[in-house]
Amino acid sequence: MTHNPWIWVSAILTLGIFSFLYKENPFYRVCEHLFIGISNGYSITFVWHRVLMPTLINPVAHGEKLWLILIAIIGAFYFMYFIPQISWLVRIPIAIVLGYGAGASIPRGIDAAIVQQLRATIITRSTFLSVYNGIWSIVILFGVIATISYFFFSRERKGILKPLSYTGIVFIMIGFGASFGYTVMARVSLLIGRLTFLLRDWLGIIH
Amino acid sequence: MSIWEKLTKIDRRYIYLMLLLVVMIPIIVPFKLHPKPMPPVENLFNAIDAIPPEKALVISVDYSPDTEPELHPMTYALLRHAFARHKKVGILCISLLGLGLAQDALSTVTNEFNSVATTHADSIINGRDYVFWGWQTMPLVPILGMGENIAKVFPVDYYGNKTDTLPMMKKIKNYNNVALLVSIAGGESPFWYITYAQTSFGVRIGVGSTAVMATDFYPYINSGQVTGMMSGMKGGAEYEELVLTKLGIKGRRKATEAMSSQTAAHLWIMLTIVLGNIGYFALRRRKK
Repeated sequence: MTHNPWIWVSAILTLGIFSFLYKENPFYRVCEHLFIGISNGYSITFVWHRVLMPTLINPVAHGEKLWLILIAIIGAFYFMYFIPQISWLVRIPIAIVLGYGAGASIPRGIDAAIVQQLRATIITRSTFLSVYNGIWSIVILFGVIATISYFFFSRERKGILKPLSYTGIVFIMIGFGASFGYTVMARVSLLIGRLTFLLRDWLGIIH
Repeated sequence: MSIWEKLTKIDRRYIYLMLLLVVMIPIIVPFKLHPKPMPPVENLFNAIDAIPPEKALVISVDYSPDTEPELHPMTYALLRHAFARHKKVGILCISLLGLGLAQDALSTVTNEFNSVATTHADSIINGRDYVFWGWQTMPLVPILGMGENIAKVFPVDYYGNKTDTLPMMKKIKNYNNVALLVSIAGGESPFWYITYAQTSFGVRIGVGSTAVMATDFYPYINSGQVTGMMSGMKGGAEYEELVLTKLGIKGRRKATEAMSSQTAAHLWIMLTIVLGNIGYFALRRRKK
């Protein structure tokens, strides 16, 4: 068993969080609040020392990049939210961020998530150069059409739309099943990580 | 109460307790497994192998300690592969908490190589073989900015050195000099790289994702937007297997070590799902 006090602290906090699996209790609450507090404290000090100091305060203090003062003032308008009389000022930085974000994201987002994805469903003669590829391309194309038809609510589900949308449900369910399987793997991975820490670093049972 | 009713009303805490045992026992007494690398993992491995000397591999460490068991082995494996093949590596973080993890992986792997290096050329040296650029506010500033000038986005590296004075950075200016960018992420940052870096600059993207996010990225493999992918701990174990079998590097393989527990836990969960469903259908039939 280790004599390192920080590993003891870490192990006790881990057990505190795990205690929630039995039932809600004060030990768990303490660990949860400690985590939130430390995370926030870390982020704030990090942003101060690693972002604000080198990119804003130091250059301005040395008389360089003085235009950053204007940007800092606009950024500080976020805090005007707490002063009701001038809280409208908060709209200025939000408008700038939204405008820039939307302008930068919308065309690229459409290209990456829609145009390129649609292109991937197009079947050409070259798709069948490999039989394996050809078969899966047809399955993907059919799956895309069937799944989209399931979300087509402007028309009653009858005629061709009925079997197509029901087939869409099958594709969606397979997707959910795959996601569930992967989620199990993810959660078990985290449990393995913590148990390995407890058994190796804390108790020294394994090496 | 019949056995079927009992099956559907097991206290969840007994299931947790069993899961704890099922996961813990193989950690203490593991059984040997050799994960078979799947095509997305092999594609990633081959893409890194094919990086030309004048270009760099960029690894974006975009995860925090909560997903460390899944993703940290991937970073180790990628670094071992890149350093063994003498590829130039640039490392950045767009997750604040990723900094410590990136530093941990870098120091561990460089120590592994440097402890057996016999010459200066064999050693892995900061500034010559790799640069740890550090952190930058996510996502637009670093991702779009690196397309123009990496040194402008990261004027100083993690250790405080001026980035543009480092030898490796003489040739690595922007995405034109990046052969592959691998985002190892606990969240959606690979999407940002696909959307901004690839769409705007045509950079090839690799992904190391948590298992939870893996199904979200598979469509991007099919469309060719993602070159290769490691998904979850299993993806990490597959990459470790490739590093061992193709490069003969025998560093600690944390993901592979955990595969015994993963397998046992999955079998246990499958069993509980089957038993639960049998109980449900048997009860429903009896009620009818």
